[in-house]
Amino acid sequence: MLGRKDDEKALRQLASSVEPVSLSLEILQTACAWVWVTPEALINFLIASRQRANAPGPCRRHLTPKSPAVAAQPASRRPPLNLEMGDLDRAIAQLRACRPIPEAEVRELCHKARELLIEEGNVVTVNAPVTICGDIHGQFHDLMELFRVGGDVPDTNYLFMGDFVDRGFYSLESFLLLLCLKVRYPDRMTLIRGNHESRQITTVYGFYDECLRKYGSANVWRYCCDVFDYLALGAIVLGASNTLSPNPDTSSEAPTIDEDSDVEIQVCNADGQIMTQFSRQARSRVHGRSPSGAATTNGVAPGAGAPTNTGPPGSGASGSSGGSIGNPAGAVLCVHGGLSPLIDVVDKIRLLDRKQEVPHEGAMCDLLWSDPDEIDGWGLSPRGAGFLFGADIVKVFNHKNDLSLIARAHQLVMEGFKEMFDANIVTVWSAPNYCYRCGNVAALLELSEDESGLGVFARSNGEVGRSDGGVGSGGGGGSRGVLTESSRGAVMSGPARRYRVFQAAPQDSRGMPAKKPVADYFL
Amino acid sequence: MSGHYRGCGPELDFPPASPPSTASSSATPSFQKLEILRASTRQNHTFIRPTKRIHEGPDVSRFLVSQAYRDIGIFVLQLNRAMLPRRVSSQTQMFPLDAPRSDPQPVLALRDLLKKVEALIDEAPLDPGPRRFGNVGFRTWHQILEERADSLLKEFLPGMAAESGSNEAVGALDEVKAYFLGSFGSAQRLDYGTGHELSFLAFLGCLWKLGFFVSPPSPDSENKEDKIPGELERSIVLGAIEPYLQVIRRLILHYTLEPAGSHGVWGLDDHSFVPYILGSAQLARPIWSESEPTPLEGSAPQSPRPSDVAKPERATAHRDRWMYFSAVAFINDVKKGPFWEHSPILFDVSGIRDGWGKINKGMLKMFNAEVLAKYPVVQHFPFGSLFSWEADPDAQKVVGTSVHLASQPTTTTSSVASGEGGPTASPWTQATRMPGAGAVPGPGIPYSRAPWAGTGSTVPMPRGGVPDTGPLPVMDSFPPGVRGTASAQHSITKAPWAK
Repeated sequence: MLGRKDDEKALRQLASSVEPVSLSLEILQTACAWVWVTPEALINFLIASRQRANAPGPCRRHLTPKSPAVAAQPASRRPPLNLEMGDLDRAIAQLRACRPIPEAEVRELCHKARELLIEEGNVVTVNAPVTICGDIHGQFHDLMELFRVGGDVPDTNYLFMGDFVDRGFYSLESFLLLLCLKVRYPDRMTLIRGNHESRQITTVYGFYDECLRKYGSANVWRYCCDVFDYLALGAIVLGASNTLSPNPDTSSEAPTIDEDSDVEIQVCNADGQIMTQFSRQARSRVHGRSPSGAATTNGVAPGAGAPTNTGPPGSGASGSSGGSIGNPAGAVLCVHGGLSPLIDVVDKIRLLDRKQEVPHEGAMCDLLWSDPDEIDGWGLSPRGAGFLFGADIVKVFNHKNDLSLIARAHQLVMEGFKEMFDANIVTVWSAPNYCYRCGNVAALLELSEDESGLGVFARSNGEVGRSDGGVGSGGGGGSRGVLTESSRGAVMSGPARRYRVFQAAPQDSRGMPAKKPVADYFL
Repeated sequence: MSGHYRGCGPELDFPPASPPSTASSSATPSFQKLEILRASTRQNHTFIRPTKRIHEGPDVSRFLVSQAYRDIGIFVLQLNRAMLPRRVSSQTQMFPLDAPRSDPQPVLALRDLLKKVEALIDEAPLDPGPRRFGNVGFRTWHQILEERADSLLKEFLPGMAAESGSNEAVGALDEVKAYFLGSFGSAQRLDYGTGHELSFLAFLGCLWKLGFFVSPPSPDSENKEDKIPGELERSIVLGAIEPYLQVIRRLILHYTLEPAGSHGVWGLDDHSFVPYILGSAQLARPIWSESEPTPLEGSAPQSPRPSDVAKPERATAHRDRWMYFSAVAFINDVKKGPFWEHSPILFDVSGIRDGWGKINKGMLKMFNAEVLAKYPVVQHFPFGSLFSWEADPDAQKVVGTSVHLASQPTTTTSSVASGEGGPTASPWTQATRMPGAGAVPGPGIPYSRAPWAGTGSTVPMPRGGVPDTGPLPVMDSFPPGVRGTASAQHSITKAPWAK
């Protein structure tokens, strides 16, 4: 049903023909699969509906309570609803200084954010270049370090894979800053939901306590939880290049490789110096100073238990890797936890009703809770939610969905990232020295933009402005969308990955606050 | 608002000439001790192999009216009381860790037992293989402990050998062993938390009930005048509990054990609670007589200031002398970063200006609410004959109506607590009746500034009667057959609804 080339082509043409209807190819495909009609019939129906809708009266009003007209504009040109840009910039500046914004502003911000997020599909489409980040857990100063290492917003396009809150001291400031940036630069920030973006989990693991302590009431917690319900469940990165973009920070002493295109994986330290890289064919280390050099370069020694090796992905616990040979130039699926036995194709994620508290079971729960593991098939998760899934599951899923890679977070990795299953899946972890005690480094993953024109075909998923609806870049017969057969010769493996590894932010600059009122037990 | 001691006056360094009037109450506080099984009843006592009884959230409220809950409360308060400084012939007598003591034989035996347990580390080396966080060498350690538990207990606990059940019959050893083995973290999850600590308290409580600590009267002990009441309990605290904590800290460091169900910075401590109770008692205002209520505020004159807690160098300086600082200094060993960031609750408490007595009172309340009343912590506590699931006949009226509170935020804890005793009862009276020390708490630590009474009920909680969402799920709770490497993940988030 889905994914047939003919259907896709027809749909794409039809989708473009009904511009500016803000319906995407993806929605149409989903709808076709759902109701089992031909694309043409559906389009005709939609055109007719649109004409009816052009007459005064609600059409999608239930989805966009405030301003449906605005929603039709590309997001980049859309002014933040009701929120003055100046206010937003001021809030951003205040949050960047790690100072919470007043409750009333939080309320307004969350309202705006919801209006924005409600427009996004369950699976957001993001075009490379993009920098993918894992768990933050309220480690605000480390988030600032992340921006320093990865580039500031909006210069860098970011995708955060959830778990912004809980456990850390600054969940509130961290999440609100990310949310402000999302509202301010909707096209530059993608936030997807983690298992901690949930009422029940935040009442156990700290965010609730934090809001009470910082505001004296649970209102802000409630506003934030309402936003959580609207966060997307995943993202698809399209147009990631098989070659790395030049590393602007590369110093002259950086190792050279005969052709840049040979580099599949590059690991840089926080200062941009290349620590290790791996060529595509041999997947052998081309060059690199001692990976543990990162620790000394940053001047921050890893704490107890830190790895001595910020080691090569695909090695060690990952086993010997033959490279990601399966799905050249396929898309990258980003999701917080992992896969679900109920989801065999990405499009099934799109059919979920996500706007709710994370359920205790089911596909939505699994996507946010599951972990890859060295097992065959599916296994019970020690977490009590989600599942464990093995290499076979990942490989079949990636092949079926024309994915070259799954990027996920959710598990501490001492080295900051870990590729598994022949580089079919990677865990990215962005909270250094987790909980002030784990001694781990953090990482972010950069995917470069494919400028060759041969990259994957961009498509939109219904969120306006995210792309041009699938008719722009790379069009014509050369397209190799994620829904098409990857028929081109599998010369290249998956997208080139640049990992930037960084340590916890220095702590000396933080002043000591006044002591807060104690909990009621001590009154 | 309870209205007690909300002032911001200077720390009370001197005891008032008479017991503070606030503690007066119609009922003279009785300082109960855990009852020892009498020899006569001992003959006919039926031991029960401890089993879990708390299977889902609502069972916690049943636990809160059980005899086991009552006995845990009595025992904790008994130990707590013993640690208070005493005023003896116009001098303040305190009981620091490093003062010379002559512990009775049973306590010495316990300490030897703990030494032996610690020495098992040498037999269970660290696993060199690929690791996540907790070292799987701990599983070997725990396995050795399990294998040798019987012989260790028989060797070091005199009388235990005779107590082991013969064939089918369950003996005292079976009960004691269950709590002993529950005291040293989870082999499966490679973690340690307050549930394990609670198990050790129950282990000691079992021994107490069995009369293990009652030494035959020796010529020395005839001279009763020299003895300050509570000496035996102090020996248990200083000679067994603190050494236990040291073993635990060594295990945590050596095998990099995880905090069980970590709240990150939003828990009192990643692993422990008891040292903050007994450690604050150690520094509280001295009592003048044994009939005097436990102080609700004030510090002993020689006590370090609470604000020293936030200064790492001061914490280090006090760590060998005071339990509270010993625990704080261990946090500083493990965590890197500003104290007020990684331990905000302890930081806030360090700002309390009414002395260690007030901190002690708060710690007891918090222990009741955040440990004993939290399903994730107590769900694996087993019940036998010594810590019994049977209802405490006197407890029914205390918490019988608060069941539904378990799944939603309450208002404040202290003000709700007035339910039983009425306005004249002091908080301490309530604390001694631990179920009354606070309403069954909802999620989060209550802060009185929260003007959210009336809106709390709108907090949506997921379906299915999910229990209150307390800290530190501890002890093994693995679905059968799971042996994935993910189980060795540091600080993984476990689903609060998971069994």
